[in-house]
Formats: sequence, structure tokens, C-alpha cells
Amino acid sequence: MTVETATAPTVLAETPGRWERANKATLAMLGVTVVLFLVFGIAAPNFLTFGNISNLATQVAITLIVAVAMTFVITTGQIDLSVGSTVAFVATGTAEMLRAGWDSSIVIIAALVAGLLWGAINGWLSAHQKIPPFIVTLATMSVIRGIAQMWTQGFSVPIDRRLFVAKIGDAKFLGFSALAWIALVAVVLGAVLLSKMRFGNYVNGIGSQEESVRRAGVNTDRIKMITLMLTGLAAGVAGLLTAARLGSGSANSGQGFELTVIAAVVLGGTDLFGGRGTMVGTIIGAVITGVIANGLTLLGVSPFLTPIVTGLVLLIAIWINLRGRSLADLFSHLTRRS
Amino acid sequence: MSDTSLVTLRGITKSFGAVQSLRGVDLTLGPGEVLGLVGDNGAGKSTLMKVLAGAIQHDSGQITIDGRDVRFASPADARRERIGIVYQDLALCDTLDVASNLFLGREPRKGPFIDRRAMHAKAAETLSELHVRVKSTYQEIGRLSGGQRQAVAIARAVSFQPRVLILDEPTAALAVAEVRQVLRMIRDVAAQGVGVILITHRLQDLFEVCDRITVMYEGRSVEDEPVSALDIERLVAMITRSNTEEAA
Ligand SMILES: Nc1ncnc2c1ncn2[C@@H]1O[C@H](COP(=O)(O)OP(=O)(O)O)[C@@H](O)[C@H]1O
Ligand SMILES: [Mg+2]
Repeated sequence: MTVETATAPTVLAETPGRWERANKATLAMLGVTVVLFLVFGIAAPNFLTFGNISNLATQVAITLIVAVAMTFVITTGQIDLSVGSTVAFVATGTAEMLRAGWDSSIVIIAALVAGLLWGAINGWLSAHQKIPPFIVTLATMSVIRGIAQMWTQGFSVPIDRRLFVAKIGDAKFLGFSALAWIALVAVVLGAVLLSKMRFGNYVNGIGSQEESVRRAGVNTDRIKMITLMLTGLAAGVAGLLTAARLGSGSANSGQGFELTVIAAVVLGGTDLFGGRGTMVGTIIGAVITGVIANGLTLLGVSPFLTPIVTGLVLLIAIWINLRGRSLADLFSHLTRRS
Repeated sequence: MSDTSLVTLRGITKSFGAVQSLRGVDLTLGPGEVLGLVGDNGAGKSTLMKVLAGAIQHDSGQITIDGRDVRFASPADARRERIGIVYQDLALCDTLDVASNLFLGREPRKGPFIDRRAMHAKAAETLSELHVRVKSTYQEIGRLSGGQRQAVAIARAVSFQPRVLILDEPTAALAVAEVRQVLRMIRDVAAQGVGVILITHRLQDLFEVCDRITVMYEGRSVEDEPVSALDIERLVAMITRSNTEEAA
């Protein structure tokens, strides 16, 4: 028998080339980013200035922080529609707690815990009670914002600019805002978690074939719950930073934020059906959404054009991401019981 | 017999809603023994093996390993008892690479991080030892042929050095030479004292490697005979229950 005479190893542990390993959708979007930078750089002379790039980093930061967490959620084959509402909830909560005279350090912790708790509720209902996360987070999206609105009666709550939390919103290091640095930390942590740790392997595996990961002895419900807690926590951070940046907390902040975040993740090449997540792609996706908004503003077009363009970008992103599969498949995937 | 048995299943039942898949199954497996498990499609063979691997939980009945009564709440529990299984559907993740699938749930680590270099090196070694033909351990499982996928799933189960090895139709997608390879592997591990349960529709393979054959029919274990007492015609008659039906 020929198979028995084989002496040299028949299987190689050779790393394939960079080109083979690279996510092609992500590469395409990298090209789009370069084109966008060139087009806006030519059309708006002040676009490629350091000042504007730093400004762009600040504008992208909040989206990026939540998009990093959303990458895990989408890679497991789930979705979280409630992040915009959690941002509003935490932003108003932050302003209210500061107004009540709480110390900034306690307010920061409370804000993060609030985000984490909403995430835990989403996670428990979807992973353990087997309600599709699309449905769970559609419901909590309405509930969470509703609570924030009832709490503030729709009024925006101002924050004293002298408080530490407010100062985070204005702080700068090495020419970049504190927000941009926090986003950088989130990206690095997310990238390490996704590609270097077991957790990331299981997240990809669950999105591909959850039952296979479960049969390998992994508690998949726990992993799915943790991913939704990550988006909750990230939305908590985003809510805190939104309040800090605006100097007020409003129950109406973060409207449509979930769409921007999902657009960023999907644009980057993370598969909406799960199983393939890329953190580099998410950075690219977030930058694209930010560049479009920033560039349009610089060109002096109507600010009302931004949500229109964001919506269209989301549509195109999903279209590319589907790669021949139907939207009906996607919908049944997102609403199925796991 | 009972003191030398490795695995004993008694009166195992399992229902999925209104469907009663297992209606009381008895099965024994000794160390170093190769047991053939046969029965028509839908007889409940795969369901029974999932119970033994902890992938699903039975409703009633008793599992005994080495004389100890056990109950598996999860696949991790069964793995701790060193029960290895190749599922009929292989239980692989298409978007993960070969090495990640081979080490799924037990990835080698360096501190908190996966030691990918070690993982791929070990994977290449394991696959080479078992003569599995894949180009690279970095290949995505979804890109492999059915036979390669099956070979990787078998290699994974064997690499746990199980005491009990369950193979649920492991050769369905394999070429002739690869089937010979698997049968030889079964004899090798059995010679080292591993108890093997082989489910297959290739009856000639059963006669080649099995010591004993248990027949399931509609969720029950109905026959249990040493291979030496059987020939192909008798076995076919036992699976299809043709003589009993004629008598009834
Ligand atoms: N998860 C499940 N839900 C409902 N019915 C199931 C499930 N798994 C198996 N069954 C049913 O149990 C019976 C036995 O199936 P199976 O164990 O796969 O048989 P075999 O492997 O012998 O062909 C079949 O009727 C099958 O439809
Ligand atoms: Mg079967």
C-alpha cells in the first residue's frame, strides 16, 4: 500500500502567503478607503490636513468602539440592534448622576456597569432563553430608549464643564483626542481577543457551525452571552463619551447609531451570516463611514444628507456582503432560534 | 462479563418531543473489543452514540463506565471519561482551519494566547502519522473534499487517545485505500485496549474488524451476536428483521 510507505510528513504546517490569508472583501474596502481619501483630498483642500485627520479620528472613535464589540456579535451569527438606545440611556444616566452630585469616578463605573447589564439582559434572553437576538434587541432597543426618555421627560441634561467626565470629552494627547486613544485601545484589545485567544476561535466557530463547537465541549451559550455583554459594555463607554463630548446627556442621542455600527462592521468584510470576523476590516469600515460624513460636511452639503448616505452605504455593504445569498436567507438566519 | 466491561448501557430511552428515538437500548463494550452497531436508517444508532458522547442527554436508563454509574451533562463530561467520537455529520467548523478544528476546545496555549505555531506543528504531526492527505494545516475545512474532512474528523477523535472510540459511519466519503487505512487504525487502537464502536453500512467491513455485532431496530437493541456466529445473509436478515416479520 502506497500510504504506508510514506516516510516524509504528508501534511505541512506552512503558513500560506499574506494574499491567500487576507479577507478579499476587506482588501476591496481598503481600496475604497484610499479612493475616498483621494477624492475628498482633491475636492476639499482642508481634508488631508493634520487637524482634520485628528478630527476625523475623534468622529470615528465612538462608532469604532462599539463596532469592535459588534464584530464579535456578528461573527457569532447574532446581531445587536439596541446599542444606540444603550448609548442614549448611559448618556442621560451619566448627566443625571453628575447633576445629582456623584463623583466622576463613581459615575464612570456606574455608566459601564449599566451598559454591561443591558448587554447581559440581551445575552441571557437570546443565548439562554433561545429568543433570536434580532427580536430581543429590537425589543430592548425600544425599551431602553423609552426608559431614558421617561427619566428625562425628553429634556437634555447639561453637564458642568468643570467636572472630570466633561474634561474627557475635550482632552487631547499628542494631537489626538482622548476618544481616539480609547478607540485605539478598544481596537487592539478586540484584535487580540478575536485572533489570538480561544474566545476568538470559538466566536468564529459558533458563527460557522455552533453545534460543532458545543460538541467540542465548549459552553457556546456562555460565549454568545459574553459577546452581547461586550456590545453592551462598549455602548456604555460610547454613551459616557457621547455625554462627555456634547457636555450634556440626551435620551435622543444615538438615533440610528446601530445602523452606522453594523454598516462599519459589514463594510469591513465580517460575514453577516457569521463565521468570519475581521477586526482590521472593522477599522476600515468605521473609517469609511466616518470619512463620508466628514468629507460631506467639509464640502458644505446639507447635514441632512449624512443619514441618507449612511443608509445607502449600509445597503451597498449588505449587498456586497451577501455575495449571492438572498436577503430572505439573511432574515431567516437572523431570526432563527439557535 | 460485567467486571471486565468498559461501557455498559442499560434501558436507554430518548424522545424528541413526540418522536421516541430510543425505546430501551442495551449495549456492552469490553476493552480492546470492536463492536459493530447496525440497523436501518432511523433505527437510533446516531442518537445512542450522541448520548454516550454527552452531546444529548437521555431520558432514562443507565450508563456505566468501568463499573461506575455516570451521567454526562455535556460533551466535556464524556471527553473527561476519554470517550472519543467521530460524529456522522463530522462536527467540524467550515470557516476554521484544519489545525483549529483538530484542536477545537483544547487549543494549546502560551499564557492566555493560542500557541498557533505549536498547534499547527502538532496538527501536521498527527495528520502525517495517520496518513491524512491535506496540503496544509492552514487550509480552511470548508475547502476540503468530503474524504479529507472525514479523515480530519477521525484524526481528531483518535488524537485524544480515547479509551472508547465511536465511529459513526466514518468511511462513507472515503476512497478504497483510505477505508483500508481506517480499518487498520481500528485494529491498531483495539490492540492497545481501546474499545471501539463502529457504525457502518459496509457489512464486509464489519466482518473484517468486529468481534461482536449489536443490531438496533426502531429504537431498541434487538440482537447481539459474536461475528464468528454470523454470515452476511444472517446479518442482513437480522437488520431487516425479515425472518421475524415472516413469523409474525
Ligand atoms: N434532534 C432530533 N430531533 C427530532 N428527531 C430526531 C432528532 N435526532 C434524531 N431524531 C430522530 O430519531 C430517529 C433516529 O435517528 P438516528 O439516531 O439518526 O438514526 P440512525 O443513526 O440509526 O440512522 C429518527 O427517526 C430521527 O428522525
Ligand atoms: Mg446515523
